[in-house]
Amino acid sequence: MLTKSGIAVSRGVAIGPAMLFGVDNFRIPQRFVSVDAVEAEIGRFQTALNHVSESLEDTERVARERIGVQYGAIFGAHRLMLRDPRLISEIENLIRTKCYAPEFAASRVFHNYARQFQNLGNAYLAERATDVFDLEKRLLRALLGEQRPELSHLTEPVIILAHNLTPSETANLNRKFVLGFATEAGGHTSHTAILAGALELPAVVGLGRTLADVTAGDIVIIDGNRGELIIDPDEETLIRYQDSLRQQQTDDEKLDALRTVAATTRDGIRIQVFGNIEFPDEVEHCTRRGADGVGLYRTEFLYLGSDHEPTEEEHYQAYCRVLQEIGDHPVVIRTLDLGADKVPGGQDHFRSGSENPALGLRSIRLSLQNLTQFKTQLRAILRAAVHGDVRIMFPLVTSLLELRKARMILGDVIDDLEEEKIEFRREVPIGMMVEVPAAALLADLFAKEVDFFSIGTNDLIQYALAVDRSDQGVASLYRAGDPSILRLVRMVVDAARSRGIPVTVCGQMSSDPKFIPLLIGLGLRHLSVTPAAIPEVKSIIGKLSLQRAEEIAAHALSLDVARDVENFLRGEIPGHESDLSRDEPAESQL
Amino acid sequence: MSTRVTATVTVPGENGLHLVPCSLIAQNATAFSCEIRISKGDRNADARNIFDLMTLAAGQGAQLLLEATGDQANEAVQSLVQLFESGFNGHSHRTHP
Repeated sequence: MLTKSGIAVSRGVAIGPAMLFGVDNFRIPQRFVSVDAVEAEIGRFQTALNHVSESLEDTERVARERIGVQYGAIFGAHRLMLRDPRLISEIENLIRTKCYAPEFAASRVFHNYARQFQNLGNAYLAERATDVFDLEKRLLRALLGEQRPELSHLTEPVIILAHNLTPSETANLNRKFVLGFATEAGGHTSHTAILAGALELPAVVGLGRTLADVTAGDIVIIDGNRGELIIDPDEETLIRYQDSLRQQQTDDEKLDALRTVAATTRDGIRIQVFGNIEFPDEVEHCTRRGADGVGLYRTEFLYLGSDHEPTEEEHYQAYCRVLQEIGDHPVVIRTLDLGADKVPGGQDHFRSGSENPALGLRSIRLSLQNLTQFKTQLRAILRAAVHGDVRIMFPLVTSLLELRKARMILGDVIDDLEEEKIEFRREVPIGMMVEVPAAALLADLFAKEVDFFSIGTNDLIQYALAVDRSDQGVASLYRAGDPSILRLVRMVVDAARSRGIPVTVCGQMSSDPKFIPLLIGLGLRHLSVTPAAIPEVKSIIGKLSLQRAEEIAAHALSLDVARDVENFLRGEIPGHESDLSRDEPAESQL
Repeated sequence: MSTRVTATVTVPGENGLHLVPCSLIAQNATAFSCEIRISKGDRNADARNIFDLMTLAAGQGAQLLLEATGDQANEAVQSLVQLFESGFNGHSHRTHP
């Protein structure tokens, strides 16, 4: 049993066989074969073995003749490794006595040998583990007939382990069969994390090197609450997690009952709780939880999940689907929030090759430089607005000039649509994301020129603390509880209040139980969270009183380091006051 | 009658007993029917098994004990000694990454 730690990005527990989606995307179709098939499978294994052996022989000869005897000898050595009697008998043994499929058996045995090499503390031998993995791949290719089945062709429930999952891969996952996933790369707010939340699958990211320690088909446990991956759990651990899973299912059912409840504090203050979505399909998750609407529709997945830039019609269809599902609740549509490098269709002249994409040509800046793309999206939004309560939001606004330009373009689009006599809605509320320090500092000026704010805490924290949220090396510095963040949020809320415009918090901070009393105490009345978190958020709000929330906020603002803020808040979660199990020692308590 | 023959050899070449020399030893040993073992200190390997040999992790200058038991034990040991002394037919210098 091996436990690896990563970053928890989507709560819950999942238990199941691992499917490795590594560099070579090999999927082992099944782990076991029926008893009567054993001899046939041994035969299939031997055929594949001979096939690879012959091909290595050919390669050896060619290498020897064309490059030199030395190089040929390497392939000769590989062939010897493959034909090693002990290796072969270990594999055949697993097939015969345990009914393992040849792919699963071979993979297991090869991985064992590779691990032995890696564990000898000898650099040269550790490198040779690569040779063993290469042989494994050759053999698997021969057994699987060069197929590389896609993730969408799953037939049994699995847990996906990958180095990283691209948004389009994740978007195309067959959710019926994926129990959860874990990746080596990725941070707290990476696309994978967001998608895991959207799919409501337990997930852990940022594990570091892990794939080499897992054999496809191994039973693994994803602990999306603690951020752990447990490989090949022992009996005791397995039982413990199975109990946990059962408990989770019961708790989920209880929270679901909160669906029809409107989030209100004990002293009668109504808090609007919205859902964040990436795909139209997720609106159902929101309505199922009794969300007050969609507080953030991240439209970039229209670009990411596709091989071409979406057409106006494609935008329009997606928006209409969302509006249809949500009924008459509001939907806030955020315009494209990506860098040029992530937009399909080859926007080559916009690629800056920048070292700092987070600070580069992206989001509203990109839109203002690519008016065709921007207007396409705006047209679709205005047209769709006929069918529901649509609001537009611009991302990454850093200056009043930018905001005014964007509004001007919107004005142009309105004129165009009118001229073309196409049906659309004129009076669509316009808001902006407050996610850079510059915008927070000038919130009072911005508040005069928009209809609403949405504080994007994910990016605000990143820019304010100068921490790359996807860099594992500095992940511990990324703290929502940092006093600077609290002050920025208060600044924005105060500015919004004095102008009478609504302000929402839509980053991961708003679904973190310990920050909810704080945010409400600071003056927020709108939260937009991942749909899965809605019931818990409502539950916490229901246990809170505004008075207490304001006291909590006031005290939190007086603390001077993130650790103290977070420890304090952890102890103040309504209903969880005694749960201090994950505290770090506070400086101020020494 | 079961003869047991031994010999001591030194590992040549700056890269020691790397992949190719191991494969040559294994190929060589397979030609004989007797049991052949190679040891480095208290680590003992089956000379026919390339994985075993690799895990000896024998570097340049390491002293290895060759041990053959059974038919052709003498020929087996001689053949292997030859192999070591020839610098593995010139393969002792590692060429691949």
